[in-house]
Amino acid sequence: MKFFMFHLMPWPYLPETYVGPAWVKCPNGFYDGRRGHGLYNRYLDELIRAEALGFDGVCVNEHHANAYGNMPSPNLIAAILARQTVRMRIAVVGNALPLYNPPVRVAEEYAMIDCISGGRLIAGMVVGGGPEYYSNGLNPAEARERFSEALDLILRCWTEPGPFVHMGKHYKLRYVNPWPTPVQQPHPPIWIPGAGSYETMDFVARRRWAYMGIPYFHKRVFKKNFDYFREACEKEGYTASPEQMGWLVPVYVAETDAQARAEFEPHLWYFAKRLLPGINISPPGYTSPRSALKMLGAFGEFLLNVGTWEQVVEGAYAIVGSPATVRERMAELIGWLGVGNVLSLLQLGTLPADLTRKNMELFASEVLPYLRDETGTSLESNAVASAPVA
Amino acid sequence: MPERRTVRVAGKEVRLLVGGGGPPLLYLHSVGADAEWLEAHDRLASRFTVHLPAHPGFAESTGVDQVDGIFDLVLHYVDLLGVLGLGAVPVVGASFGGWIAAELAALYPERIARLVLADAVGLWIDEAPIGELFGSTPPEVAQMIFHDQEHPLAQMLRAMTSIADVPEDFAYAQLRALEAAAKVGWNPYLHDPKLEGRLRRVTAPTLVLWGREDGLVPLVYGERYRERIPGARLHVIERCGHLPAIERPAEFAEAVLGFLAQT
Repeated sequence: MKFFMFHLMPWPYLPETYVGPAWVKCPNGFYDGRRGHGLYNRYLDELIRAEALGFDGVCVNEHHANAYGNMPSPNLIAAILARQTVRMRIAVVGNALPLYNPPVRVAEEYAMIDCISGGRLIAGMVVGGGPEYYSNGLNPAEARERFSEALDLILRCWTEPGPFVHMGKHYKLRYVNPWPTPVQQPHPPIWIPGAGSYETMDFVARRRWAYMGIPYFHKRVFKKNFDYFREACEKEGYTASPEQMGWLVPVYVAETDAQARAEFEPHLWYFAKRLLPGINISPPGYTSPRSALKMLGAFGEFLLNVGTWEQVVEGAYAIVGSPATVRERMAELIGWLGVGNVLSLLQLGTLPADLTRKNMELFASEVLPYLRDETGTSLESNAVASAPVA
Repeated sequence: MPERRTVRVAGKEVRLLVGGGGPPLLYLHSVGADAEWLEAHDRLASRFTVHLPAHPGFAESTGVDQVDGIFDLVLHYVDLLGVLGLGAVPVVGASFGGWIAAELAALYPERIARLVLADAVGLWIDEAPIGELFGSTPPEVAQMIFHDQEHPLAQMLRAMTSIADVPEDFAYAQLRALEAAAKVGWNPYLHDPKLEGRLRRVTAPTLVLWGREDGLVPLVYGERYRERIPGARLHVIERCGHLPAIERPAEFAEAVLGFLAQT
């Protein structure tokens, strides 16, 4: 079991009068660099603090042109974390491979982060969310093909001595020879997040990597997806280990259940009703029609469409309560879902700095140790051997 | 009325509908309902043997994975004409099919006897960008492509305000159709930057047909096609949106048949 803190770095200042989506066409005139200065530095403080609090690692991710998450370049953030921390894992979940031209750039930047951190990077690779294809001009109907070719190329970068030639359908390179190369051998661990498309789960199972379940769905959607993933691994001839699965979930801990709800609820709704709208846009060809229909069908079970607090609790869209409540609920869900990685979103939407800090501290002191005991893991057993500085 | 055939073209399977009598005519459909046999096709079939192939990725036609751009579709149709043993034929292209037809006529002028472009995409005018097809909801699409909002198809699209309202087979067909269109028309958006400069190569007598109220591809595109294709005529259908074959089949067929009957 590993426990990560996930950050989205949201924009909490959308004007009340704005009722449109937070993605693609949300006017960037709403952004204010001076507020951004405060936010980025505050969010970085929160992530860095996770190390002292005893998390196994932190996670950042990549999104463009939206108010939901302001990390179009997660590698910049990861580089800062690499320098400002010494022990914990830094998971970039992940670089949207088709958006990097050539994909060798991902191999280069990830190798830099891995070197600077002493071998602590987790290399997440994603196709890129549907909205990114509206913002970036790339053809969504080619997204998965490009992703697959880019991924193979990146792996060659890390496992095959350069210079070598890559003549693929989408990328044609005469001299592939990236400097630097990563610390971790054969390469940093690879995580692939997914929202339930069959293609992604089959693919991750085949490669024996880890599948991170994309959040904001009813818990039974997670369960269905993880069950499918386990089945996909069986079809590949092996049994999935829990470490190959990750559960991303907003968590809020306060002194009592009532206090937790009162403190967290308005910020959850800002997130669900102001930042999620537009996230589910799925451009043509982005996924197969079979998967698209499956995912569209799941929208009744998506946080954007949830209306009441009772539904939030029943569906485990967020785990909110006193330390005892959160302990119990998380332990139960970890067991039921069969996951080996818990990625908790301890800051969400408009949740301010003081409440974020309190949440992190209560989670770290009251929940994390219990969950470690329950699952028989310790910080020491999870520690990454840092590279000796020559 | 139409006969349904499956034709193999360079490893792809083409679902071909053929109906009517008289000289052959090739109809290249849009991203909409005219991939299936409609009243407009019946009317054209009164004077021509109408050949209505479904583009790769539409209906039961396969091979969309082999299509990476408009030129792949152009060659596909050159190949299809060869497989069918057809010499120079009249080609009627609607919207997306009109783009293919324009390219065919420009790149393979000897294969095209006469050309009809109905509300064809394929060009780009900065001052009048083509409307958003891929990112729009069905109600938004209805608003853009129909003048008559009470047309049954417009009403059907307007009713689809959530996925629960959409019959699954329709949703599936639409997703496939949009994917097939996106393979060719995502970026550059529904056009070929080189086409405008190549239209001078068209030798076929050409009718440009346009619904005046086309909210997806404004009339100015029809005018541009007419300007660039040597000898082309423009006929505007009043009180009509983007798909005259669907919205005003009688006027559509009359204009096309009238044009094709001229010597």
